[in-house]
Amino acid sequence: MHIMEGFLPTPWWQLWFVVSIPVIAFGIYKMNKLINEKREVLPLLAVAGAFIFVLSSLKLPSVVGSCSHPTGTGVAAIMFGPAITAVLGTIVLIYQAIFLAHGGLTTLGANVFSMGILGPVVAYLVYKAGMKANLNFYLVVFLATALGDWATYVTTSVQLALAYPAGDVLTFAGFMSSFVKFAGVFAVTQVPLAIMEGAVSALLFKYVVNVKSDILVEMNVLEDSVVRKLRGNPA
Amino acid sequence: MTNILDDYALMSPLRHRNTWLKLVIVCFGLLVGVSSTSPITPLFIALCMSFTTIALGRAPLKLYLKLLLAPVGFALTGVIIIAFFSGSGQELLSFELAGYLFSVRADGLELALLVLSRSLSGMCCLYFLALTTPMIELFAVLKASRFPESFIELSMLIYRYIFVFLDMALSIRYAQTVRLGYSNFRRSIHSLGMLASTLFVRSWEQGDKLFLAMNSRCYDGKMTLFEVQRPVGAIELLLTSAYFLSVLALFYFTRNISIV
Repeated sequence: MHIMEGFLPTPWWQLWFVVSIPVIAFGIYKMNKLINEKREVLPLLAVAGAFIFVLSSLKLPSVVGSCSHPTGTGVAAIMFGPAITAVLGTIVLIYQAIFLAHGGLTTLGANVFSMGILGPVVAYLVYKAGMKANLNFYLVVFLATALGDWATYVTTSVQLALAYPAGDVLTFAGFMSSFVKFAGVFAVTQVPLAIMEGAVSALLFKYVVNVKSDILVEMNVLEDSVVRKLRGNPA
Repeated sequence: MTNILDDYALMSPLRHRNTWLKLVIVCFGLLVGVSSTSPITPLFIALCMSFTTIALGRAPLKLYLKLLLAPVGFALTGVIIIAFFSGSGQELLSFELAGYLFSVRADGLELALLVLSRSLSGMCCLYFLALTTPMIELFAVLKASRFPESFIELSMLIYRYIFVFLDMALSIRYAQTVRLGYSNFRRSIHSLGMLASTLFVRSWEQGDKLFLAMNSRCYDGKMTLFEVQRPVGAIELLLTSAYFLSVLALFYFTRNISIV
């Protein structure tokens, strides 16, 4: 869900930069701390970023016939936490803007906020809450990525509705009416897409648990006991 | 996705021009485009940038049009919503569909055209950058502008790994397609999940190996880049300032014009 270059008029694109930059700065600060502590993280973070980019450039067959792609940020949020995902998301969005003209540089702030900050935060919170509630791990992953995706798309609709409220003047009624319209049109593709992305992410984790579960334990994504239970050999 | 724009940038004759100058041109185009109040200035910028990319940058015309087409479709969806739902002036067109009244108003259409042209000019500027400047040159600029060290380092590594994984992903997908992995909807979801997990596990191992390899070559968190000095020529400077002046003049004279 990228907002195109030039789509947001003047006060809004600066505003979203103002909102996003502190979060990115905090993410960089956190990342620096992590790197100073454990230097071997840097290459791993790099491959994670490249992973997000490649995953988001793979096309997903969509029900309505249009092709769309998974964002991959939900997966990253579960694995690395939202602060670092924001930094990775920013870099990936810059590459998408420069390589593919997907998104844009003036709308980067808005896109970072919806895709790199809010979506991952929601995914992360849902994941933590779900794991605490002792739900099935795959179900939690599914819910986290799908809800994170929806959060991203609702945020995008909010951003567009704020910039283009009905009746040209920003009032609450105008905002709501235009928000409902943007959200309604995007819902056609985004609702099934998020469900599909959730399914793909759950499958991703299933295969990783089967093949190389020690990674997940090492990164504190899952506890050892949970992995053993998932693999079906409680010991 | 098989042809990354960087390949064309490496072959472009404009590659050997000053990177700062190109960046200034792009940023200028983006900023003027986004702050313009009539669709004429952005369209002029789009035209100039396209001309430069194709004629001076030698980007294949067919590829360029194909590249433009994809985001335009995307932009159109948003623009249509704006055309239908914003504005309060005189009605130009209205019809009823499934009980709802749809109408296009004059100022709504005006706004929609403006947004579409802004979007188009932005895309042309970005493609100009993408098709004439390889990423490597941009890293040197980032370094010089004192971005946080770790951020640049991370972007460089990500840049390198995008290509490694893209190759991997494409060959895995090819293998899956040959085995009918994408023959129906259920299977394609499964295949995609499998692809993503394999990619993840392999990239993880690759990251480990990379760290080992870099460490054994005395990596201390800083990679030094070789920066080529490319002075700005007189003709370039002249052309750029002529372009800037004409855009600014157009911006000034068309600021109150409405075309609908």
